[in-house]
This record gives sequence, structure tokens and C-alpha cells, in this order.
Amino acid sequence: MSAAPTSTTSPQAGGASFLDPKALMAIRNLELRARTVVEGFWHGIHRSPYHGFSVEFTEYRPYAQGDDPRYLDWRLVARTDRYFIKKFEDETNLRCSLVVDGSRSMAFGSRGFTKADYARTLAATLAYFLSHQGDATGLLTFDEQVREYLPARNRPGHLRHLMLALEKPASGNSTDVATPLRRVAELVRKRSLVVLISDLLAPVEAFSEALALVTASRHEVIVFQVIDPAERTFDFDQAARFLDMETGRDLFLDPSLARADYVRRLEAHVESVRASCEGLGVSHMLLDTSKPLELALFDFLKARSVRGKLIRRKGAAA
Amino acid sequence: MNFLAPFFLFGALAIAGPIIFHLIRRTTREVKPFSSLMFLQPTPPRVTSKSRIENLWLLLLRCLVLLALALGFARPFFRESSAKTADAGGQGRRLAILVDTSASMRRETLWAQAHEKAEALLHSTTPLDAVTLLTFDRTPRVLVDMERWRTTAVEERAPNAVRQLAAVRPGWHGTNLGVAVLQALDLISGARETVPSRGEIVVISDMQEGMRLDGLQGFEWPPNVTVRFESVKATKLGNAAAQWLAGGEQRDAADKDEKLRVRISNATDAKTERFRIAWGAAADAGLDAYVPAGQSTVIRVPKLPEGANKLTLTGDDADFDNTLWLLPPQPRRVPVIFLGADAEDDTRGSLFYLRRAFQQTPQEIVEISARRAGDAVAAFEFQNAQLVVIGDGATDAQLAGARQFARDGRLAVMPMTSPASAEALGRLLEIPGFTASEAVVREYALLAQIDFQSPLFAPFADPRFSDFTKIHFWHHRRLDAAKLPGAQVLASFESRDPAILRIPLGKGGVIVFASSWRPPDSQLALSSKFIPLLHAILDDSSGLPPARAQYFVGDEIILPPGPQSFTMRKPDGTDAPVSAGGKFAGTDLPGIYVANPGELRFVVNLDPEESRTSPLARDRLAALALPTESENAAPAASAGDGLHATAADTEQRQKLWRWLVLAAVMLLLVETAIAAKLCATKRNPAATP
Repeated sequence: MSAAPTSTTSPQAGGASFLDPKALMAIRNLELRARTVVEGFWHGIHRSPYHGFSVEFTEYRPYAQGDDPRYLDWRLVARTDRYFIKKFEDETNLRCSLVVDGSRSMAFGSRGFTKADYARTLAATLAYFLSHQGDATGLLTFDEQVREYLPARNRPGHLRHLMLALEKPASGNSTDVATPLRRVAELVRKRSLVVLISDLLAPVEAFSEALALVTASRHEVIVFQVIDPAERTFDFDQAARFLDMETGRDLFLDPSLARADYVRRLEAHVESVRASCEGLGVSHMLLDTSKPLELALFDFLKARSVRGKLIRRKGAAA
Repeated sequence: MNFLAPFFLFGALAIAGPIIFHLIRRTTREVKPFSSLMFLQPTPPRVTSKSRIENLWLLLLRCLVLLALALGFARPFFRESSAKTADAGGQGRRLAILVDTSASMRRETLWAQAHEKAEALLHSTTPLDAVTLLTFDRTPRVLVDMERWRTTAVEERAPNAVRQLAAVRPGWHGTNLGVAVLQALDLISGARETVPSRGEIVVISDMQEGMRLDGLQGFEWPPNVTVRFESVKATKLGNAAAQWLAGGEQRDAADKDEKLRVRISNATDAKTERFRIAWGAAADAGLDAYVPAGQSTVIRVPKLPEGANKLTLTGDDADFDNTLWLLPPQPRRVPVIFLGADAEDDTRGSLFYLRRAFQQTPQEIVEISARRAGDAVAAFEFQNAQLVVIGDGATDAQLAGARQFARDGRLAVMPMTSPASAEALGRLLEIPGFTASEAVVREYALLAQIDFQSPLFAPFADPRFSDFTKIHFWHHRRLDAAKLPGAQVLASFESRDPAILRIPLGKGGVIVFASSWRPPDSQLALSSKFIPLLHAILDDSSGLPPARAQYFVGDEIILPPGPQSFTMRKPDGTDAPVSAGGKFAGTDLPGIYVANPGELRFVVNLDPEESRTSPLARDRLAALALPTESENAAPAASAGDGLHATAADTEQRQKLWRWLVLAAVMLLLVETAIAAKLCATKRNPAATP
């Protein structure tokens, strides 16, 4: 868990070459989409300084009596006749659980694709990225209750299952983030990384309670809040009947009148989500679906590195 | 601008539709799914000025389309000022206005209506129009002719004609539309100038069923002439009329009472079916008649009491024709003189058959006075006599009287019983030494050549009656027609000998039979041809028309000829002189006319056709193929007044509705294009920024 991205390369540097989400969403296959993002990402950073998060070589030290001869570097002994102990950072494989919102509100989209498409692609991208590093990846999809659950594994074919589970269409009527988070806390026993991808259009209180429960279980949590540009700006021009995609409720609205109030309330909501996340030490990232997915990946790695440094700093202080 | 159908303008209210739709359409139709409404507060959709401005052009176009359509359907036209109402060629119309003044126009307010229509029509004329105003009943009368119209000052024309018409009242005559329309056509086409202009005949009438349409059937109408009917209508259509069926009485010879036959007819639209015929104030002086609508029945009225000369019908809606004038039959007396020695009961003589040929009829009593050889005949007797028959043994004096009789314009008939009769004929015609010989007849002779053109044989001209081969002549005399000046052979035997000749004498003539009608000479007296032949001779001699029991208003009354001059007292008490020919044409009132001297009484009744007041059937008029301008010219549909008709003309000429419909179509095309563009923009909003 140490080698987090050092963020020496600005993600914005290669921004121009990133794929437009609309073009990306035109690829039907989710796995292919994920691979396109990840490979583009590798191309974007060229020679990667990252070598993975697991087995990390740190230093040599001379052999001293009492050391376990298993850690002797025998090749070095054979070449130089000197005894050195090879020292490794204590690291296990990362276990990552992707928690993806499949409620109906995610089916909204103004750019030719829905928030759900974007969220799925993001989840698939992360899963692909992690599994290619040899990390175990699990999946939990939910709407008002948990729909699919795949425990974190790293074995051949698992990624494929994961992709299939992701491709199932959104069906839920409402968003209840709290229940799935509680379930994650129950199901994922080992300490792991929990990536929540949702629009979080639900009351903040229940969400922050459940999030506290997850963090209390020593899981590391990253929250991606997926928002459509139209949801952020409410830039409709005509008065119409607006139909709530989750509840089916409708309202006569003149956007020009409702816009200001809406934007204010939405920003307040996002702010309260961010505040409750920060209070719990959780990374909160607001993802606009018009932005390239690679940026989300950068954000992810950045969040991981920040966290890694934070932990190391804490460890040093201890 | 005026409108022919202004009610369609209410259609313009439909523009409220697009306006309302433009205001509310956006809030009602579109449903936008949105992820969550948790941050939204309900706001009422507001109808902002902004939303209207956006589609203002579209709204304007849609309103204009509806407006153009409504205007088009209302059929607008510009009232042309009278100065420029000329036709395309700069010519005015030639207008003939015919106003019905027949007796049926006396009903209710028909005359007032007709007057009003005529007035409107006259005032709607333009200075370029040439107008003639006529009234018509049995005959048309010109009130204002075109020349007078033309020479009158423009502003005085219509008022002048209206004044002329105001002096006219409907009379008692029948209606003859045919003659009137043809006369009107003569007036407007007779004065035709080099440039043919539009001719129009407007008939203002009650268009009753009983009007005569003589001469219109199959008439070759000149182009540019139209006939328009402006009908006036009575509110009550029921009418019953009584008609005296004079002339049928002889069939009731067994009936000693001499009942009069009266036909009661009831109109098809009548509501009442029970009528009363009364000839006096007393309760028993009347009869009830039950006549269902559209039918007629004949009732027998008993002999009227002394002094009663009319029947009054009560119970129907129109009373102009409810009085029927009657006179007991008064047969005309026709004196005939027989000169000769025949005994009254000698079946071998001529007189016996002559008496039996002239039987008494209700119209006529032929009084034959036989004068023997010694009887003197007074000059006045010859003057009064209508026919003289010369038998055997007439004296010189008698023959001289007969000669004078013939010279005065009558006919003398001379059947030759033997060759000796030729001598008497010679004396009559003053041809000394005229002789005839007895013809040699084998078995019998027949009439071979007959001049059916002559008045004597005209009644037999029909092939059904022209067979004279059944009449055999056993004996006849041979005459030399060449010796008789101007003799016309009316019939000859197969031997080409003349059988019947007409020898002119003065104003009249002598009819000579080469064989007599007595059975010893021929079968003529016993044949069915004898009586018609003698009556034809009598009619030819007297020149009297057939006797009539009653006349109708407008008929000419022919008085018996004679030296005296008559004065006619009309029913209204005025006296009118009778012209020299003994013909009286002034029968303009129904009633009893009395001719003096002699107290000759004539009944003049209303034309029974005039009582048929139901509206003329549309198909009867259509069958005439009159050059009517449009369908609503038919009487049943001609509810519109003259002004409306001229408005229709103007509208028809201008046809503004076409342009309006065209404009609507063009506006629709533009509207479609704009709307399509707007739709495309809305569906693909990303394309525009």
C-alpha cells in the first residue's frame, strides 16, 4: 500500500489526448472500454515510475548472525562471496471493492450517454487497472438494496464475471447508499479499499452514518460522485413537466425560474457530502460526466498516494 | 368591402385557437425525465412575454391563414360605385323588369312586395343600364320604354319609373308569362346596338301554378340574355275556386230544374277542405262542398232565384276569386229563311231535312221560317237572317231579296233538284239563259275531289272524317262552271262534274249543290256529314263566333252583327262604346256586362287558371330551359332580394375569395417551412451553438 502515485506528472499535461467520454461510450463492450482507458492512461504517462503496489524491494543490509538465511541474496553470494540480506517492505495484495450505484437516477444523461454508463465504465476501468496489477477486485451493485455482490478475487475469469455483473441495467427506484455501505462493512472482512461510485442523490445523514461504519471497519474509502453537466447547471430552456426518474413524481417547472434555487441546493448538497467525507478521512471526488475518464483515474491514484503518504507519515511519527 | 356570406366571418374567431396554443402548448405537452426532483421546488409555468416573442412570426402566420380562410368563405366583394359598374366592355346591362299585375297578385301583400322589389331593382341600376319597365297579365304593357329611360335625366330615371309603377294596381286578368317574357326579349334585343351588351329579364311575380308559359318551350334564346325570377310569396297558400262548367247542361236534359254545374277546386297546399257556396243571404241559399286539398269536385247548383246572378264561395284563404257570376243559359237565336214550295212534312223535299238538321242547342236556336211562293219577305227579315236556302219555286222578288242578302255578305244556298233549277240560279245570279242538263249516272256517283281548305269542308279535313264514299248520288245536274263568274268548285263528282260550287256575289256568295240532299237525289241528308256541313255553311254565312255561355276577363265579346251601334254597361256601372265591328274588348272586370240596345247580357268571370295559386313547380320551369343565371333563380329558391342578386353578380365577377384562398395556401407553406426549421433546431439544440 505504499507505492502510491507520486503525481510528478500532471494529469492535465496529457489532457488533450484523452478520450472524449462520448466517443468512449460509443464502444459497446465494457471491457474494451476499460482497456482503452487504461492503455491510453499508460500511454499518457509514458515511462511509468509506478511499479505496482505489492511486492516492493527497499534495501540490502549486511547479514548479521541470527538472520534468517532464507532472506540471503544467494545470487549476490555466488557472485561476490558477500552476505547480504534482501529487505522487502511488508506488503500484501490490495483488495478493492467497487460499490456501484444502479438506481434509476443514474439513467439520466444529457450528453448522449447516462451517468450509469459513465459509472460502469469507471468501475470497469478501475477493475481492469487493478486486476492487471494483480490486485483482487470485487463488486457490489445496489439501488435501494444490494443487487449484485462479487467478493474481491484475483483469478482468471473473475474480471469477466465482474464486467458481466456491471453490464446489468439499472432497475432500482430509489437510491439508498446507506444500506449497501453497511452490507460492505458486513461482507468485506479483510481490510480493503472501497470505491463508491454513485450520484449520491440521497439524504446525506444516512449516507455519512453508513460511511462512518465502513471507515470504522478500517476500510479505505474513495467516493466518486458522478454528476451530469445538466444536473449541475440545470440548463433547460423550456418550461415542461419534469418527471422524477426514481419516484415517477412530476412537476411543472419553468427552468429559468427554478434554476438558481436548484443550483444553490445542489451545491449545498454536494458540499455537505464532501464535508462528511472529509470528516471521515474519505476522498471525495466530484466527477462530471463530460470530463474524460482518465482524469478520474488520476484522481484515484492521487487519492491513493496522498493516503499512502499520510499513512507513512503517521507511521514515521509513531 | 362587403360580404356575401358574412356569417363565415365568425370563423375568424378561430384565431383564438393558435393564440391559446402558443401560450399554453409548452407547459402541457413536453415531459422531461430528470434524475431527481429533490432539489426542485414546484414553480407555476408562466406565460412569459419571452415565450410569445419566440414564435411570434409563426403565430402571426397561423392567425393570418385562418383570417384569410374566414374572409374567403365570407365571399367579400367591393361595392362598385355606380359610375364604374359597367360590364367588361364598358356597356351597361339591358334590363327588362316585368311586374305581374294579374288577379292573383291581389292576394295579401303581394303587390306591395312586388312594388318594393321593383323599386329596389330600379334604384340598383347604373347610369349605363338601359331599362324598360313592363307590367303583364294576359298581355304585357310597357310602362317605361328604353327610349324614355334614356332621355330622362339620370337621377330622375328610377324615381320616374317608380312613380309610373305606383299608379298601377293588379287587375283581374289571367297570367301569360310566355308572351310577356318574349315581348320583353323583343324590347331588349330589338334595340340592340352594335356592341352586344348583357341583357337581363327580371320577372317579379307570384309565380303561380296557373300562369301560362306559351311560346317559351323550345325557344331559341340569344346569347347574353338571362332571365331571373324574383318571386313574391303569400303567407297563406290555401285557395279554392269555383268554375262554372257552362255548356255541359244539355246532358241533363232529363233534369227539369236546369241545374248549373260548378266545379270547386282546392289548392294542394290548402289547410281547409270544407267550403260553402252561397247565392243569397238565406240559410237555404247555399251548398256545402267538401273538397280535399289538391282535388276538385263538381257540384250541381239548382236554378238560381230571380235576380241572383252570382255564387259566393267562402271558407278559403284568398278571396279575390271567390265570386262566380252566372246567367241562366240564353241561347242565341239564328234566323234562317227557306224560300220554296216544300211542304213541312214532305220527306222527299229539302225543307224536311233542313229543319231536322238545325236542332236546338243551349247555345243556339236556329229558327227556320219557310216562305211559300206567294209570301212576301220583308227587307229587315233578310237583314236579320243568317242564311237563306232557296228551294224550288221561289219567286223573282224572293230571289231578288236573296241576291241582296248575298251581296250584303251572307250566303244563299241553292240545292238543284232538277235541270230546271238552273233557270232559277240564272235569275238569282242575273245570268240570263243559264242552263243545266241532267247527268247520266250509272248506278251512283261519288264525290271524288273535295276542297278541304274551304270553310264548308274544313270540319272534315281530318282523315278520320274525310271519307265521303258512303254518300251515293243517284242523280245530279251538269253545270258549266265556266259560265258562272268566279265560281269555285268545292267538290266534284268522279266524272269531274262540279258537285258543290261557291259563286261569289257582292260581299257574300251562293252555294250551289248540283244534286240536292233529298233521298231521291242522294244519300247526303241521311249521312252523318249533313249536319256538320249545314252548320259549316251557317257559320260561314253568319260569321258569328261559337256562342259562349261565359267569357273570361280580357276576352273579346262579339255582339251580334247589325246596323245598330251598341253601348256596353260594365259591372261597375260605367258605359263604354262598342267599336264598329261589334267587338267589345274592355272586359277588365268580372261581372255581368249589358249591351244596349237589346239588353244583351254577358257573363265575364275570372280566368279559372288564375285561381291556381300554388307556386309553380320547379321542374316545369326547368323544363323550359330558360337562360337563368344560377340555381337560385328558380322560384322556390329565389328568397333573395334584388340587391342580394346584384351583390352575387358583383362577387361572382370579382372573385376575391380565390386570392384569399391562394394567400392562405402561401401562408401555410411559409408557416410549414418556419415550423419545420424551428422543430429541427429544438430537436438538435447542439447543432446550433
